[in-house]
Amino acid sequence: MEAALEGDGSQVGVPHGALLVEFGEAMLGGDEDRRTQVRNALYAAMGPAALVDAAATVASFNAVVKLADGSGIPLEEFKAQGTADLRAELGLEKLNRDTR
Amino acid sequence: MGQALLFDPAALEIREGLRRECGLGWERLASAGTWWTGEQRLALAAEARAAHACSLCQRRKAALSPYAENGRHDGLGTLPAAVVEIVHRLTTDAGRLTKKWLQSMLDAGVTEEQYVEAIGVVALITALDTFDLSLGFPQRALPAPRPGTPTRHRPAGAKRDLAWVSTVAPEDLSPGDPDPYRIHGVKNIHRALSLVPQEVLNFFDLDVELYLKDHEIRDFTQEFRALSHIQMELLAGRVSALNGCYY
Repeated sequence: MEAALEGDGSQVGVPHGALLVEFGEAMLGGDEDRRTQVRNALYAAMGPAALVDAAATVASFNAVVKLADGSGIPLEEFKAQGTADLRAELGLEKLNRDTR
Repeated sequence: MGQALLFDPAALEIREGLRRECGLGWERLASAGTWWTGEQRLALAAEARAAHACSLCQRRKAALSPYAENGRHDGLGTLPAAVVEIVHRLTTDAGRLTKKWLQSMLDAGVTEEQYVEAIGVVALITALDTFDLSLGFPQRALPAPRPGTPTRHRPAGAKRDLAWVSTVAPEDLSPGDPDPYRIHGVKNIHRALSLVPQEVLNFFDLDVELYLKDHEIRDFTQEFRALSHIQMELLAGRVSALNGCYY
């Protein structure tokens, strides 16, 4: 879980984890050279279908956050209870808009 | 020297459902919605694109608090100032929006319904543009507006009991209300834009092709994409963290 939030994704035991993390980072904050480099690397290492689905995943989550953050919806109770310790451990409460 | 793509993005095979819903997404951006005309929806989308180069947004993003930076947005001049503020904040710094800020937008004359539909438009153009960008396509020209009149349908069962905006619980939908829950699910994320139910459909019709359908997300008996569940969740988690999204 921590690897999803920070680090380079290389130590998490997810196939091509580092490449996927770099893809997300580059698409959201990199320059065009960085984006081109990782597109090429992902295409070569994982294939065209994986590139399409990586792009689609980035698109989905770059967008869906607007719904949550724009509307102020809360976490569902079952999620809040089930993840309380995890959120505390990862310091996620600093993102909790209900505390602002 | 600039890097070059080693493949042709136009030659990439896009899943049929994803290709279909992307096409529909562009059409929906240009079509009359519930509270905004097609022309207005495209103006919202254009303003979302402009937000990425806005100097006020950049100063705010770098600041400890976005509310410490004042000024005028580098907008396109086609929308009221409050609407520009909404679109720019949603686009560049949604993770730090507050209920108090939203109230200030409503006090400035934007209706709750217009606001919710604007979220839908910003989310839709963000998804479509990010997909194109991530594959290496140049930014697409916005389509021409389609004729039509907004329906101006507010669900009778809408209540301000869950979120900062009114939402419609599944059990409070009336006959004649679009029903996104039957197709997409009943999580809070599906309720977020339910004051304008068509926007829930507009977004999630595309999103289930970009990501996964609700029942597929926790079906670990099979993989539905060229990425595995865990690969998608790693990538999704990083993107969400970069956006500062708590939910």
